[in-house]
Amino acid sequence: MAPQLTLQAPLELPPQEVSNYLERLWEGDQGHPSGATTFSLLVWEPAWIEQHLVRLGRLQGPITGLESASLLQAAREAIPSCGLPASTSPLAPELAWQLGLLPGDASGEDRRGQHVDAAISRHQPRRLITLAPSLDSQQPLETLVAAYCPLPEEGPKTTVCGDVVVMRGGMGALEQGLAMVNPLIPPELPSWVWWNGSLDEAPQLFEGLSQPPRRLIVDTAIGSAARALEVLRQRAASGQAISDLNWYRLVSWRESLAMSFDMPSRREALAHVSQLDIDVQGHQPVQGLLMAAWIADRLGWVLEHTAPAEEGGIRSEFRRPDGAPVRFRQMSVPVGTPSTHPGSLVGLRLVCEPKDRQGLCVILCAETGGCMRLEAGGMARMELVEEVVATTVESAQKEVSRTLRGGHDSTNPLLAACVPLAAKLLPR
Amino acid sequence: MGFASMSTTLTNPLRIGLRQERVISPQCLVIFGASGDLTHRKLIPALFELFRQRRLPSEFAILGCARRPWSDEEFRQKMAAALAPVVSEDPGAWANFAQGLFYEPVDLEKPEDVVKLGIRLEQIDRLRATRSNRTFYLSVSPNFYGSGCRSLAAAGLLADPSRSRVVIEKPFGRDYASAQALNRVVKSCGQEHQIFRIDHYLGKETVQNILVLRFANTIFEPLWNRNYISSVQITAAETVGVEERAGYYESSGALRDMVQNHLTQMLALTAMEPPGRYEPESIRNEKAKVLQAARLAHEAEPWKCCVRGQYGPGGSSHEPMVGYRQEPGVEGNSTTETYVAMKVFIDNWRWQGVPFYLRTGKRMPKRLSEVVLTFREAPVHLFDSSGGGQPNANQLILRIQPNEGADFRFEVKAPGSGMRSRPVDMDFSYDESFGEPSDEGYVRLLADAMLGDPTLFTRADEVEAAWRLYTPLLELIEQSPWQLPVYPYEARTWGPAASDSLLARDGLLWRRP
Repeated sequence: MAPQLTLQAPLELPPQEVSNYLERLWEGDQGHPSGATTFSLLVWEPAWIEQHLVRLGRLQGPITGLESASLLQAAREAIPSCGLPASTSPLAPELAWQLGLLPGDASGEDRRGQHVDAAISRHQPRRLITLAPSLDSQQPLETLVAAYCPLPEEGPKTTVCGDVVVMRGGMGALEQGLAMVNPLIPPELPSWVWWNGSLDEAPQLFEGLSQPPRRLIVDTAIGSAARALEVLRQRAASGQAISDLNWYRLVSWRESLAMSFDMPSRREALAHVSQLDIDVQGHQPVQGLLMAAWIADRLGWVLEHTAPAEEGGIRSEFRRPDGAPVRFRQMSVPVGTPSTHPGSLVGLRLVCEPKDRQGLCVILCAETGGCMRLEAGGMARMELVEEVVATTVESAQKEVSRTLRGGHDSTNPLLAACVPLAAKLLPR
Repeated sequence: MGFASMSTTLTNPLRIGLRQERVISPQCLVIFGASGDLTHRKLIPALFELFRQRRLPSEFAILGCARRPWSDEEFRQKMAAALAPVVSEDPGAWANFAQGLFYEPVDLEKPEDVVKLGIRLEQIDRLRATRSNRTFYLSVSPNFYGSGCRSLAAAGLLADPSRSRVVIEKPFGRDYASAQALNRVVKSCGQEHQIFRIDHYLGKETVQNILVLRFANTIFEPLWNRNYISSVQITAAETVGVEERAGYYESSGALRDMVQNHLTQMLALTAMEPPGRYEPESIRNEKAKVLQAARLAHEAEPWKCCVRGQYGPGGSSHEPMVGYRQEPGVEGNSTTETYVAMKVFIDNWRWQGVPFYLRTGKRMPKRLSEVVLTFREAPVHLFDSSGGGQPNANQLILRIQPNEGADFRFEVKAPGSGMRSRPVDMDFSYDESFGEPSDEGYVRLLADAMLGDPTLFTRADEVEAAWRLYTPLLELIEQSPWQLPVYPYEARTWGPAASDSLLARDGLLWRRP
């Protein structure tokens, strides 16, 4: 589906006039389309890599903030020239950092917030507010406003209108403009804040924008693991609805692992897990830790200790409900064609060793990567169950769309239950 | 809300909470007939189950509508009382769920009430941010299906086909002509894709599994035809009697109550051609086509292929049971059938000449629904059966309920020095394999209706084809019922002897489960 543009070129207004203008916009006659009574979505849209690639002339503008194929291609091509390992994800913050060190002054039109992905526009947001920080930290605040009536590509052409507001400028200008954002969010409608960047950046803006009852969408695959897990833990504990795209990407892994133990003859083995190994792509450990924590939480394990292992890995030990130890090891492994998302799971091995019975070894492998490390060694006398896990890569916009389709005002209980454990698993 | 309460029913701890594949959009479900049985017995429990599985969004509301002048609070209390055992399992979840329950006294026959309903829905949209998405569930007397749709359309509540849907309970019509007439009314109120004609049998996991079994495996489909299958039996047996439904049942009988809808849907799924793709219209096209090709074995003389029965007194000395005519609300000389069995053919290349035997009855010895496919015998019998005589034909038994699953019965060598064969069963059980109970049919169907997925709902042409199939019987019962007598049978037996004769004429027996 092609992104949808606003019906008219956005109107640039002085920031102080935006609120009044929007109020007037929806005071039309009866015959005019009315504003959608749906939800508001506030997006933090730094698009640092895209901005740098355009500045360096490696990508043609305009800058949209959308995860397009051309952006990912240009980012992948830039990885070796920045001296980064081949297993670096095209959306990794370290790529943005390295690109920032390179000289270049090409420019492209900045249309962040004006190109709305059809996956999001189909939900007909009442108000879409985009905060678009620019590379030039001194750039003053610009505010753009447009009415917006998304037309569905399929089905009946009903017109339900909303509006888009774009706030663009340097980080300082955006921080100064924070006070005008909150009044723009209709209090009677649910509102989501999608922090489409690293949780390490702009802490003041993050705190200011993401308070409850707003529902928060983050991606813990981006940025520092400690910060990401701490935000998840704090917000879930406070009762705020927080969705993590990195957690949702584990769906097929959770399903495949559960499926391996659906057979009654195997269920008993879950009480006798002795070892859990997880391989992740690169040095972003959060997704692996969330998976390990989910398994531990479901099986009632208690964390005994955790420590860093060689090559950026993690070595931990749990205690099962029957008191027996469970060894956990997470390894960072290099991959030839890295997934879009840093730290994606590559493989998982669960070893069950019941007393006086044959052991069971379950190995799950991503269909895009090999699993040779996990397949090696010592499992010859065990029943071996090996599954390939489908890895469907969707754009962040599509992932967010799924959350917006039918949202919840509380955090997914499975995520809320496992996040504290995932945070503890990360060595200090 | 957590998943802890679900863990008691699940034995694979990794399964808990994983059933959140399709999340329903924000919307308001409007139940007409909210003071009726179905609402507190089936609909609200199904919705609460969806809520507990986190498949309902926070922006969700249920508006109960009926003539009784209840308030929101009264409605909440009555539902809580009706669901007391479930509510007590998880009172916190119920408290959250009940915040989204509302009630509006509405008489669908009164235009001013429907206008008032529209205003209330707008209020709920603002209060619960339900985005003007509405599903109207007509759980009212079938007499009001047409007028109900008209009232909703007249008030503009069905104007936006992308945001409004209507779910219509069974029975959809009383015969072919009335079903056609009702379809005309319904179509004048909205588009076909807004209309969800519900048949709760299609919500059963095992009924849906017929499609998967047939079309996701290569081993069955090559055998699924007249070359390898000699006959098909479809049974839906109930142990209960007419219970409190005498008023309705007296005017419907087993043919209208069970055969035209539930058994016919099982027939369609068993016999349909493979759809080109898994999408609603492809599947419904194939179902409609196979029903259009179906006919009674003797259309001109239906009494030759159909048996009616009515349960008489029976049971045991510990549990005596009254006959149908002694049930409260039933006429003392009632000729309503509580049992019906019939033989049907499907005139297409796949099934020409293969008899499909359908039967349903009340007060049977067991509650069960199943589809039994009997394969042709081996062309040459090399081995005798260990029980003497010829080996049994292979059978595939699809158990719809209870003990959901499938059995494949085939011959193996009986242990010993001779070469005699005996039948064994290869058994698949849902409980064994998946370790969790299937959702109740209404959970699945309500979710699908609110998702706007019509795959498991019957389309106008399917309903009409189903009624047309039984028209010769309905006309016979109407015009010369003496030609299709109602044989008595003892309660808790497998129906009248005449139904055994129906198969005996073809050298067959009903399967005794």
